[in-house]
Parts: sequence; structure tokens; C-alpha cells
Amino acid sequence: MENNLVEQDMSIYLAIVLAPLMGAIIAGVFGRYISRTMAHQVTIVGVAISAALSLLVFKHFALEDMTTINETIYTWMVSDGLHLEVGFLIDKLTAMMMVVVTFVSLMVHIYTIGYMHDDSGYKRFFSYISLFTFSMLMLIMANNFVQLFFGWEAVGLVSYLLIGFWYTRETAIYANLKAFIVNRVGDFGFILGIALVAMTFNSLDYQDVFAASTLHTESTIALFPGTHWSTITVICLLLFIGAMAKSAQAPLHVWLPDSMEGPTPISALIHAATMVTAGIFMVARMSPLFELSPVALNFILLIGAVTAFFMGLLGIVQNDIKRVIAYSTLSQLGYMTVALGASAYAASIFHLMTHAFFKALLFLAAGSVIIAMHHEQDIRKMGGIRHYMPITWITFLLGTLALIGTPGFAGFFSKDSIIMAVHASQLPGANIAYLAILLGVFITAFYSFRLYFLVFHGQPRMDHHTKADLHETPKVVTVPLILLAIPSVLIGALFVADMVFGDFFGAAIMVLPEHDVLATLAKDYHGIIAMVLHSFKSLPFWLMLAGIMSAWYLYMVNPSLPEKLSQRLLIIHKVLLNKYYFDDINSTVFAGGARQLGTFLSRFGDTQVIDGWFVNGSAKLVAWFSSIIRHIQSGYLYHYAFAMMLGLATLLVLLLTTVISH
Amino acid sequence: MTEAIIFYLFSTVAVVSALMMISVRNPVRAAFYLVLSFFASAIIWLLLQAEFLAIVLVLVYVGAVMVLFLFVVMMLDLNIVEKESGFTRYFPIGIMLAAITFFSIYYVLGQKESGMDVFQSQPLSTAASHVEGYSNTKELGKLLYSEYVYAFEIAAMLLLVAIVAAISLTYRRRPKTRHQNPDLQVSARHEDRIRIVKIPVEERK
Amino acid sequence: MSVTPDLLPATAEIFVLIMTCIILVVDTFTPEKYRASSYILTQGTLLGALLITIGLYTEQSIVTFHNTFILDPLASMLKGIIYIVVFAVLIYSKHFLQQHKMFKGEYFVLMLASVLGMMVMVSAYSFVTLYLGLELLSLSLYAMIAMQDQAKSAPEAAMKYFVLGAMASGLLLYGMSMIYGATGTLHLAEIQTNILDKFETHSLLLSFGLVFIIVAVAFKLGAVPFHMWVPDVYHGAPTAVTIFIGSAPKIAAFAMLFRLLVDGLESLHTSWQDILIILAILSMAVGNIIAIAQTNIKRMLAYSTVAHVGFILLGILSVSQSGYSASMFYTITYTIMAVGGFGMVLLLSHKGFDAERISDFKGLSTRAPWFAVMMMIFMFSMAGVPPFLGFWAKLLVLKAVVVEADMVWLAAIAVFFSIIGIFYYLRIIKFMFFDKAEDSEHLTITQGMAVTMSINGVVVLLLGLYPGILLTYCVQAITHVIQ
Repeated sequence: MENNLVEQDMSIYLAIVLAPLMGAIIAGVFGRYISRTMAHQVTIVGVAISAALSLLVFKHFALEDMTTINETIYTWMVSDGLHLEVGFLIDKLTAMMMVVVTFVSLMVHIYTIGYMHDDSGYKRFFSYISLFTFSMLMLIMANNFVQLFFGWEAVGLVSYLLIGFWYTRETAIYANLKAFIVNRVGDFGFILGIALVAMTFNSLDYQDVFAASTLHTESTIALFPGTHWSTITVICLLLFIGAMAKSAQAPLHVWLPDSMEGPTPISALIHAATMVTAGIFMVARMSPLFELSPVALNFILLIGAVTAFFMGLLGIVQNDIKRVIAYSTLSQLGYMTVALGASAYAASIFHLMTHAFFKALLFLAAGSVIIAMHHEQDIRKMGGIRHYMPITWITFLLGTLALIGTPGFAGFFSKDSIIMAVHASQLPGANIAYLAILLGVFITAFYSFRLYFLVFHGQPRMDHHTKADLHETPKVVTVPLILLAIPSVLIGALFVADMVFGDFFGAAIMVLPEHDVLATLAKDYHGIIAMVLHSFKSLPFWLMLAGIMSAWYLYMVNPSLPEKLSQRLLIIHKVLLNKYYFDDINSTVFAGGARQLGTFLSRFGDTQVIDGWFVNGSAKLVAWFSSIIRHIQSGYLYHYAFAMMLGLATLLVLLLTTVISH
Repeated sequence: MTEAIIFYLFSTVAVVSALMMISVRNPVRAAFYLVLSFFASAIIWLLLQAEFLAIVLVLVYVGAVMVLFLFVVMMLDLNIVEKESGFTRYFPIGIMLAAITFFSIYYVLGQKESGMDVFQSQPLSTAASHVEGYSNTKELGKLLYSEYVYAFEIAAMLLLVAIVAAISLTYRRRPKTRHQNPDLQVSARHEDRIRIVKIPVEERK
Repeated sequence: MSVTPDLLPATAEIFVLIMTCIILVVDTFTPEKYRASSYILTQGTLLGALLITIGLYTEQSIVTFHNTFILDPLASMLKGIIYIVVFAVLIYSKHFLQQHKMFKGEYFVLMLASVLGMMVMVSAYSFVTLYLGLELLSLSLYAMIAMQDQAKSAPEAAMKYFVLGAMASGLLLYGMSMIYGATGTLHLAEIQTNILDKFETHSLLLSFGLVFIIVAVAFKLGAVPFHMWVPDVYHGAPTAVTIFIGSAPKIAAFAMLFRLLVDGLESLHTSWQDILIILAILSMAVGNIIAIAQTNIKRMLAYSTVAHVGFILLGILSVSQSGYSASMFYTITYTIMAVGGFGMVLLLSHKGFDAERISDFKGLSTRAPWFAVMMMIFMFSMAGVPPFLGFWAKLLVLKAVVVEADMVWLAAIAVFFSIIGIFYYLRIIKFMFFDKAEDSEHLTITQGMAVTMSINGVVVLLLGLYPGILLTYCVQAITHVIQ
């Protein structure tokens, strides 16, 4: 009976999606009529229902091997054979994502009660995060591109609203704007990709498109006359540009660190665990398309490797507790992207899942520290906090261990699988990528433990007033930490066998036999214990250890050394501090990051801000060009008449030359 | 033959005077050249036996429009236009542009296959010969009020708009101008004009 | 040949003509304080004409006045939209006109005359009527621009528009005379049939005339390089006139383009397609890029018009039914958005202050949040952001270019330039929502203006959600003509 419910009746899926939406509407629209308690109760109940039902669905898929559900619920419009509709495609991939999203969202909802306790926008905040949960569920459960795009835009919109939640802060507003602009760049790639799909396949339904994908491997498209591009490759690259913006891959990553201007629960939910992984999820979902384009896969592999390595490096020099974790997120997203490029979709999704838990944990724990420190985020003013906040300390340590891939922890299984998969990959760029992510392991361990030591160990460096008041945060904060710590430790060991090396995802992910690196790895897989034991002999483990030891030596044993080192390596340090001057390159305006923006604005004025909207410095070029053309618009009548006659003469000559040449 | 001579003579006059009209500096002279050009065109109309058009051209353009124009020009005392500073600068390129346009038009219209040669095959005299009692004016009137009545009405509206536009643009009541308001004048009552004040008689001290 | 032509199909035109004359007379004899009567009469005329046009709507093409006038679904629909747009324009501009001493009977007479000109153009079935309609429209516009006597810029703008417009008219006539020379007729339908057998012998002459005609139409639409008047005139004219020039005449210009190129000269499409490609690319490039450098909102919207014209041309040059209807859809969409956009400029203006700088929009979200949202809708729609109306317009045109004309590269260029274009639309949104207001004066917004603006914004949003409503009519109208 229960099984029937899950399998046949779509109402359960509608309930999963609509429960958070109802919560959002009640807390948002009717917010003024209900109390604060009521607002969080309503939204938490909504998300809890959704989480419980998602778990039920996941149970059926994981344990009872339910068949895929693909059903259309509502048709919006039909135009020339193209159906714009709302529908759900539920398979194991979706089921897993649903659990991750709803579970993390539930934890964040509970945690928010404590974190936003004194904020005047309390109800508004709950409404937004519930709305986000709804949008994210729409995105992952979609069975067609239109709905995917809807979810994609909706999560972006909510993220945009939430980054600017503290809209009185100028930096928040500009972080907000930056996220908005960068994501528009991605959206254009994405929407063009979808348009091209519609054009090529004359359908926007996943199933139709995937079924027909192999028919189009040979088809080409003339982007410019005389050139031929493989249609599938162009589609994949365009879609991936969308993913690059959403999942913050270099060079479209610039918005993510600044998005830390938003409240910490948001950083945990949207900018670490769920929304930023939408790009990863999308590529995995589109695996039947991406598999057909080695060019696109290689591109993805390299972008991912660059992001994983270089963004990790930046984490070393940051002093804001949230920014360190933000750069770590960027780096980990790079790992997932690398795995996608290597066709190890399962490993990528697996890392997505483990990462969602331990990164949400790290953010929430960092938030807990921030609450205790009265919203101080500079790690140079922390230290020795472990004595005052034991629960936060332990959970943060567990999260850190999971992040760096300590054998046995969740992150270990996912990250090691990715490294091995890339090692086994045959793509031309795989060697470089392998090197990048291997070094990334050292870097990850280094910055993670740097953060950990500086915050929780050593001498307390905060002022007396704060120190006297330092104590563990309330239960609404610590309980989610504990609940998140459990999967951060265990979930890797529980699922690695099925998800990565087994055939858990089945038909949800399509991998061509010649690309199937995970299948090769699976032959050498002999259980969790063997994997853990084997890792002690492998390079990543020793690199990780070296990272921890370096951090320990530099920040615990000899704390004066980092200062000297940064003096000695001034140039490198400067480059890293300025985030490779990305912001400067991107725009003259965002130079120096959002912090300096206030002073900057008064100095350069608005015209530069506008120019600054152009990514990759095209601003000045276009502005220059347009100011040149502007001179033609001289205001003299005879110039205009002259231009008209010139146009006429040109057209006449053009006509005559074509006619004569015939 | 005579007709051909007349045609070429007057069309030359028309073209030359048109050229002169735009090139002379004195606006009065320019106006007179335009008048000459209109006259020459009127004669070409006559050659085509379109007397009505020829007369209308002379009456309306030469008789009314140009005379009015001359009045304005003379009243404004515009003598010689300052030499355009941009003229020499843009002259060569302007000439080039004109030459390109001219030659492309020449090329197209000179082509046999352009279809313009159909007109050459008919001698001028036969093209415009008509039966006895033919009235150009009457034919024109018939066409205007039957086939082209719609266009004719729109043209009439166009003229109305031109009048409205001209009046509304030129008629501006300046705040300092003194003018009469007949409405007020007529409706004036003597109460408004004269006030009879009774002053009590004071005794001389 | 009947002597009296069938007048019934032209009832709307006759009605507007009579009402124009009545207003002219009534206005003369009404005292200053009842000046609003002319305004009300004008609005009434537009509503009456709308009712008549709806009443006369037929699925057939009715030709009258000796083949110089046509009433078909296309004409009816475009006329209806012209009335509605002008109606909205009048409501928006009432306040401005009163403040700038332009609230006079002549203004309304000229406006109705230009509406009549547009109606004639939309219903024209012969070169003569098309040309006369165009002149009627243009002449009224010149006068309307020059009417504001305080500002110096207005007469200058009128002068530029007049001289260049006269040049364009000359070119149009020249082109028409060549087509007439080749086909021996002025009626569009006969031209269409005559061309087929004259094409072999007269192709050069025909395409030569075509170039002149296209140049003239491109001037009217404001396509590059015949666009120079657009920014200067939009900028120099009083805002109340700018909103008018920027909206309804675009529909008439589309009708002219369609009647000439498709109704009359479709068999020459190999010639005009290439020319339109050049004009479209140039328009999109120049319009979008220069708009970025503008600081005056009227100039910015002028360049945005140029860019939109590029898109309108794209639809036509795909030489297909769906392309034509996409173009028509785009034109109507653009008009609705432009009325809203310029309407906002009028809304922000108050006595002694014309909100012409883009920076005048700063902080609108705090001064008038509802209208800031409306402006955001217009800007998003113009930028082509889903789900607003403008998105569908762009999408349909691009689809026609890709599917029907098979020119992916052209669509790619179009997309590229519209991406550039997004930045200047977003700049306004940024100013409205993220910047502090410079002008703290309380906004006086009349009720009629507020209601119209809200309806305008909601229409853009709703038609964006249900584009099928408008699109169906466009497709029907075009299909009918093509048959």
C-alpha cells in the first residue's frame, strides 16, 4: 500500500514540493498577521514534511529498487510541437538530491532560530529559505528543460535576495549585484544551450532528448558561415557555461566569496550545500549528452582542475572565517567538476552529497563561533575557543577531518574516488588535472587546519569583554551541528560501495564504456576496510598529513614564521591576497573586493560602476567604442544628411556589384 | 523636330537654373532662378499637352508661392549668406558621393534591359496626341474625383494640417503685446467703468 | 466602374477626419478654462474609432476606392492598437502638456491628423495613398515637435526631422517612380502580379527602385545608417511628443514596410533580404553600443529603439510567414513597452523639471515603489528577460531567423548585441533600487496616469505569461495577407 503510494500517486511528490512553498507563502505574505514563533514553526513543519517524505522516497529507491517515475503534471503551453510543462522525473539521482536538500534545509531552518534571533527580518528570512527549498526541489525534480530553467532562475533569485538580506550594508548590496550580474552571464549560456536543444531535438523533455541524443552525434551547426561545430559539443559547452556561473567555476567564481555577506545560514544552505551544486547536478543529469562530447568533457575537466587548485590556494591567506570556508567550497566544487569531466559522475555526485553535509556543518559551526564572538569574523582575533565551546569545537573538528579526507571520514571516500578516477581517465588533460587535485589535497589540509588551529587552539586573542562573555551557543544551534556531524562522519562509508563502485544510479547516469573509469576502479575495490588501509600507502594520505603538519608547525609551534614567510614571498602573497587580481581584471570597480567599495565609489563615481558590470574588462573597450561612435552624432544636420546619402550610395553600389557579377 | 529642340532647350534651362538656384549666394537671386526653373518646367508640361498643369504651375508656384517667398526674403534683409566653413572640407567627398550616385543611376536607366527604352520607341508627338475636343483639364478632373478621390481627400487634409501647423507655430501671443479683447469690450457694463462716489459736503471752517 | 466608391470600409478614417474638423471648430469657440473639452473629445474620437474598427472587422480583404484602400485583418488590428496606444499616450502626457502650455486645441488636432495619417498608411493599397499617409503623419509630427516655444531644442529637432524627412520622402518617391516605370501601375496587388512577368527584363530597374524605397522606410523606422535623426529628435522634442513619436508611428512604419516589401515586392526578396541583413546588423550594433554611453534617458531610449528596429527587420528578412508575424508581434510589443518607458519619464517630471537624466531615476524604489516595479518590468521586458513580453518577441524573431532563414550566425550576432544591450537596461534598475534619490520632491501622480501605468505594466507581464493571446492574432493577420 505504502509502496503504491510512492510509485503511482504523484501527490506525494507534489506534497514534497509544495509543503515548503506553503510555508514560504504563509511566512512571507501573511507574515504581518502571525508571530515570530508561528513563522518558524510553519516553515519548519513544511520542510520537515518534505524531508520525511523525501527519506521515504529515497528508502524505496535505495532499498527496494523502485523504477523510475516520469510524469507530467501540468502543461503550460504547446507551441510548434514544443511542450512547456511541469513534470517530475524521479530516479535514484533525484531521490538522493531530494534527501540532501531537504535534510540540510531542515537543519538550517532549525539553526536559524538561534542565529537570526535578534534580527528584524526574522519572518522574511524564514519565508526566503523555504522558498529556496521549493525552488531547489523544482530544479532537481524537473523532467524537462523549461522547469529546470525555472528552478535555476528561482534559486538564483532567492540567493540574490538573501545575499542582500542585510540591505543596509553597502557591501551586501554590491555583493548582491555582483552575484546577479555574473549569474546573468551564465544564464545566457544556459538559455542558449536550451534553445539549441529545442532546435536540434524539437523537444524539451529529458527523456526525448536523451533518447535522440545518439542520433545527433554527427550533426553540425554553422555558428558562423563556413564553420562547422558539433551540435552536441556546442550544446554541452553552452549548458556548462550556465553551470560555471551557478557552481562558481573559474573565471565565473567571483561572486561566491562575496556572497558571504549574507547571513551564515544562507552561506551554509545555498552557497555551500545546495544551490551551488546545481551546476554539478545538471551536468550529471545531462550525462547522456555530455558523454557524447569529449571536447566538452575535457573542457570541464580543465576548468574544474584550475578551480580546485587555485581557489584552494586563496583559502590560505584569508582571515575571515567564512571566507576561508567559502574558498574551500570553491575548491571542492572544482573537485566535483573534475570528476564530471573524467566521466566519474557517480563520484562527483557522491562528493556533492558528502560535501553538502560536512560543508554545511563547517559553516554552521563557524556561524556558532560568530554568534559567540558577537559577529566578529576575523580569525586573528580568535584562538583557544575550544575551552569555551566544546560542542562547536568537536563538530568543527569532525567537519574539518571530513573535508581534508581523513581515512574513514565521509570526505575521504568521495575525494579519494575522484582522485583515483581522474588518475584512470584517458582524456588529454587528465594528467594536469590529476596533478592539480593531488596538490589540492595538501592545500586543503593546510588551510583547513590553519583555520582550525587559529580559531580553536593557541592563546585567546580576543578582547576581554568578548572573552568574559564567551560561552557555548544555545541548543537550536548545537543540535543541528550534532545532527550534521553524524552524516559527515558516516555517510561516506555507508554509501561508497553502492554509489561509486556499485550500480546505484543505474540508468539515471549514462557513461560510455570507453569513458567508464569508475568501472575500472571497481575491479580493485574490495570493501571499505581495504580502501582505508590501502590509502595509508597512497600519496594523497601523506600529502594530507604534510598539510596538517605544516599548519601545525607554522601556526602552533612557530607562529612568527608565517609573517616572515609572507614577507619573503611578498609577490606571491600579494597575488593570493588579491585573489589573482581577478576582481581587478573583471572590473575596475570591484577592485580590492567589496570592502573597499565604499571609498572606491566616492572616488570614481558611477560611470565606472557601470563599466564595471562588464566581465573580463570588456567594459572599457565597449565604452571607448561607443564614445567614438558618439562623435558621429555631431548634431549637425548636414552630417546626418551626408550619412544618409552615404548609406544610399553604399547600398546602390552593393546592389550593382552583385547584379553585374551575376 | 521642333518639339525636340524646344524640349532640349527648356530642359537645359530648367536644369541650369536649378543648379544656379542652389549655388548663388544672394537669396533673392536664388528665388528668381527658381522662378525661371518653374517656367521652363511649365513649358515642358505644355509640350506634353498638359495645359492645366502648366498653368497651375505658373499660377500657384510662380504667382503665389514664389512671390510670397520673395516678400519674406526681402523683408528679412538677408543678403549674402556667409560662406559655409565646412563647405570646402566636405566638397570633394560630397562630389564623389554625388558622382557615384549619378553614375549608378545612369548605368541603370541607360541599360536597354532596364525597360526605359519603351518610352524611346514612341516619338514625343504621337505619345501626346489626342482626339479633337480633348480637354486635359477635364480628364484630370475626372481622374481626381473618381479614381484618385481618396488620395485627393488625404491631400486636402494635408493642406488643412499645414494651415493648422503654420498658424500654431507662428502665432504666438507675446506677453507684452497690447491687444484688444472684443468680448470684454462688448460685455463691458457701465458699473465697471464709472464709480460714483458720494462725498459728504464738508463745511468750510 | 461605379462612380461612388464603397465608403463603408473607410468609416473609421472618415469618422476621425470629421471629428478632427469638429474639434478644430469647437476649440476655437471654447474659452480657456474649458480647454479640457478638446482633450475629452480627442479621447472620445479614439474610442469611437476603436469601436468602429472593431465593428468593421472582417476576415476578408475588402478593397475600395479603386484599389487604393484595403481593409483586412492586419489593417484592423494595427489600427486598433494605434488607437489604444495613442489613448494611453494622451493620458500620460496630459499633465506635461498643461505645465508646458501645450494643452491647446491645435495639439489635439495635429495628433488626430497624425493618427489619420497612420490609419491611411496601415490601410494603403497603393503607392499614392501610402505616400500621402506618410506625409500626413510626418507633417503633423514636425509641427507637434516645434510647438513648445520656450525650449530652444524643440525647433531645432523639428527642423532636423523636417529636412531629413523631406529627403527621405524624395527618395521614396524616386524609388516608387522607378517601380512604376517598370510595372506600369501604382497598386500594390498589380505590382505583385506584374513583377512576375517583368522580372526577367526589368530586374535591375526594379531592384534599383527597391533600394530607394528601403532607404526611405529605413529612415522612418530609424535603422542605421538612416537613424541619425532619432536620438536628436527624441531628445529635443518635448517629452509628451517624444512618447508619441516613439510609439504609434512605429506601428505605421511597420505597416509601410510590410505593405511595400511583402505585399508589393515580395518577389524581389532576394534583393531586399541582403539589404535588410546589413541594416539589421548595423542597427543592433550601433543602437545597443551607443545606448550605453548615454546619460539622457530619452536619448538612451532612442538608441534602444534603433536596436529594437534591428530586431523588427530580422523578422521581415526571414521571408516567411512566421517571420512576418514575429516581426509584427515584436513591433506591437515594442510599442507597448516604449509607451510605458517614456510614460515613466513623464511621470517623474514635475513643474520646471523634466526627468530627462538617467540619474533622475535614482532611488525611485523609495519614492514610488509601485512605479519602480513597473519601470523594472518595462526594462526587463525591453532587455528580453523571461517571462516578460519582450522575451517572447525576441525569441520568436530569433526562431524565425534560425528555422526559416537558416541563418544561425545572424541569430548569434543578434543575441550577442542584445546581451550588450541588457547592461543599460539593468543600469536603470540599479539606479532605481540601489541608489539614493537625488530629487526629494514629492511626486504628483494623477490618478489616470497611475491607473494607465499600472495597466500598462500588468499587460507587459500578463502577455508575457500568456503570449499566445497576442501571437495568435498576429499569425492570423499575417496568414490572411500572405494568402
